[in-house]
Amino acid sequence: MGKYDNVEGIARRTMILFFLIDTSNSMSGTKIGEVNDAIEGVIPEIKEISSSNADALIKIACLTFSTGVKWMYPNPVDVNDFKWSYVNAGGMTEMGKAFEVLNEKLSRNEFMAEVAGSYAPAIFLLSDGAPTDEYKDAIEKLKKNNWFKYALKAAVAIGDDADKDMLATFTGDEELVLTAHSPEALRKVIRFVSVTASKIGSKSSVSAQTTNAKQDDFAEQITEFNSDLIDSQNDNW
Amino acid sequence: MIDLKRNERIQIKNGSKAEVIQKIGEGGQGAVYKVHYAREDYAMKLYFPRAIKKKNEFYSNLENNIVNGSPNESFLWPLYITEMKNGTFGYLMRLRPAGYEDFSKILTAKVQMNSDMAIINAALHLVNAFKDLHSKGYSYQDLNDGNFFINPENGDVLICDNDNVAPYGQNVGVDGKSRYIAPEVVTGKSRPNVHTDRFSLAVVLFMLFFRGHPFEGAKTASHCCLTEQLEKEYYGVHPLFCYDPKDESNRPVRGIHNNVIRLWNMYPRYIQDAFIKVFTAGIKDVNERLTEREWTNILLRYRNSTIKCSCGCYNTFEDETQAKLTCADCGTEINRPLVLTINKNKIFLYPETRLYTYQIEDSQDLFQEAGMVIINKANKSLWGLKNLSKRGWIVEYSSGEQKSVPYGGVLFLLKGTKIFFGNEYSGEIN
Ligand SMILES: Nc1ncnc2c1ncn2[C@@H]1O[C@H](COP(=O)(O)OP(=O)(O)OP(=O)(O)O)[C@@H](O)[C@H]1O
Ligand SMILES: [Mg+2]
Ligand SMILES: [Zn+2]
Repeated sequence: MGKYDNVEGIARRTMILFFLIDTSNSMSGTKIGEVNDAIEGVIPEIKEISSSNADALIKIACLTFSTGVKWMYPNPVDVNDFKWSYVNAGGMTEMGKAFEVLNEKLSRNEFMAEVAGSYAPAIFLLSDGAPTDEYKDAIEKLKKNNWFKYALKAAVAIGDDADKDMLATFTGDEELVLTAHSPEALRKVIRFVSVTASKIGSKSSVSAQTTNAKQDDFAEQITEFNSDLIDSQNDNW
Repeated sequence: MIDLKRNERIQIKNGSKAEVIQKIGEGGQGAVYKVHYAREDYAMKLYFPRAIKKKNEFYSNLENNIVNGSPNESFLWPLYITEMKNGTFGYLMRLRPAGYEDFSKILTAKVQMNSDMAIINAALHLVNAFKDLHSKGYSYQDLNDGNFFINPENGDVLICDNDNVAPYGQNVGVDGKSRYIAPEVVTGKSRPNVHTDRFSLAVVLFMLFFRGHPFEGAKTASHCCLTEQLEKEYYGVHPLFCYDPKDESNRPVRGIHNNVIRLWNMYPRYIQDAFIKVFTAGIKDVNERLTEREWTNILLRYRNSTIKCSCGCYNTFEDETQAKLTCADCGTEINRPLVLTINKNKIFLYPETRLYTYQIEDSQDLFQEAGMVIINKANKSLWGLKNLSKRGWIVEYSSGEQKSVPYGGVLFLLKGTKIFFGNEYSGEIN
C-alpha cells in the first residue's frame, strides 16, 4: 500500500556478547545451576535492548571449557532467536584451550564476518578455579587480537579459589574482576555485567574526547556496582 | 543502584511525596518509574548517583526548565523536581500515553508507520517542536533515536529526556551519540547548541524518511569493526554524505542499505536537495543547516502536493507543471488534479486531501483540519471540498454564481472557482 511496505530494519551493526564458562568439576551443583538460571533469566532483557536498538543488534555466543571446549552453537545467534541450553559441569579446567579457540573465532573469517559489520564484542568470563592446562601462550596471543583489544571484558571469580590474577590478565584490569561469594551475588553479577555490556557495547559511542569511551564507561559502571556488591556480600559457597 | 520499591515515597521539592508504583525501565543515566503524585500518575526519572557530573548545576538547570515551562505539547517536559537525597534526585513528567512507540522500534521495523501521511506528519511535529524549543532560547543537545516516541497511527510525536535542555550558550555536560550528533561535537570542537540540534534534526529526519543513516555507505561498510576511532572519523572528522553529488565513494551498498537505495528516488528533488545541503555544505558551515522554518516550508509543500491513490498509496507531484504520475504501488496513471492556491500554499485536490486551518487563517496549528476533498456518492466523477472549519465560506464559481458554504457544506471542485474563507484569506482553484 505504499513506499514503506517492503521496508527493512535499518542497517545495523552486530555486537556479539560472549560467555566463556568454566564447566569443570568444581562448578558442579549450585554454581553451575545458578549460572544456567541467571543467564537464561537475563536473555529477555538483552532481547529488549537489542530490539529497540537502531545502532546494533546483539548476538550471543557461549563457550564452555572443562576437559576440552565446546561452543553451544556453531555460530553466534541473534538474541531474538537465542535459546539457552543448560550446561553441565565435570572434568578439568582447560582455560588455555578456551583462549585459543576464542582467538580463532575473533576473526573476520569466522565469527566477525557480518555483512553490515560489527561493533567490538563484549566478553564475559566466569570461573571458580585456575587453568589446568598451559594457558600463558594462548592468553598472550589473544591479547594481540584486535577484536579482543577493543572488546568490553569482565570476569567473575566464583568463590575464593578462582585465580583472580589470571582473570585480571584476561580483563586487563583488576577492577573488571568481580568476586561472587554466594549464589545471590553470582546472579546479580551475571545480570549486571551482561546487561551493562549489552547496553554499552551495542550503542554508537559517545561524543567524548577519548577513543575508548565505551571501555571507560563500562569500567566505571562495573567498579561502582562492585563496591555496592562488596558491601552487601557475606560468604556463602 | 538499588531499585526503589513499590509504595516507597519520594519527597518532591516544595510539595508532598510521590509514591512509587513500579519501575518502567532504565537507561544510561537513570531509571524511570511510574509514580503517583497529587492524585495523578506520572513518570519519574531518577538519576544514578554517578551519572551526573555537575550535580548542582544540573539540578538548577532542571528547576529553571520547570519554571519556564514546556515549549509546546510535544515535550514530556519536567514538571516537578525531587529533593536531592543520597547524592541523587529526579523529576516528574507526564507518562507516555498508549500508542506511542520508540523511534528506534520504527527504525528496526518492529513497528510500522500507518501511512506515508503519518510519516510526513511525524516529521512536521518534530520540526515544529524544535522550532518552539529554539524560539524559547533553548537547545535540546542530545537528539537521538532513543529520545522520542511516535504514534504510528497519526505521526504525533513526544520528546522525552528534556533534562539536557539548556538556555542558549549553556550546556549541562551531555555527550551525545556519535551517530546523531553534529560533527563538530563528535570531534570536540564545539559543545551542543542550536546549530548542532539542527544537524541532529536533519539526521533524524533522514532516518525517518529513508530508514538508513546519511553517513553510512560503501566507506563505512568497508570496515568489519567500527571502532570508536572509526566512528569519530565517519561521524566527526570526515563525514561523507551517501548521496554527496560530488563524491560517490560512500554510496549506499545493495544488500546492506537497501532502504536508502529504494526510497531516495521516491522523494521529490527539493527534499533531496534539502538533505544534500545540510549534509554537504552544512557539515562545516552551520549556516547551511536548514532552520526549522525552512524544513516546515519544505514539508508543507510536500504534504500539500501528496495525494492518496484509490489503492491507498500516497504519491507526490513534484510541482504544478507535472501533468500526471504513475502510482508507485498499483501503477495507475493519475492526472494532476486541480490545485487550490492560497497565498504560498498550493494544495493538490484529490479525494481525501485535507485542508488545514493554518492555510485559511492566522494560525500556527499545522495539523488541525479545516476541510477535506470528498467524492460525490451518486456521481463519482464529481468531487467536492467539504468545509470542516468554524467559519462559513463564500464561493464564487467562474460563471459568476456565488454560494455560501457553511460548516459541513460542500463546494464543487471546478476550475476558476474562488473561495473566500470568511476572513482576509482567499484562494483560487485552477
Ligand atoms: N515519560 C515516560 N513515560 C513512560 N516511559 C518512559 C518515559 N520516559 C522514559 N520512559 C521509558 O523509560 C525507560 C528508560 O528511559 P531513560 O530515558 O532513562 O533511558 P534511555 O533513554 O535508554 O537512556 P538515557 O539515560 O541515556 O537517556 C525507556 O524504556 C523509556 O522508553
Ligand atoms: Mg533516554
Ligand atoms: Zn495506487
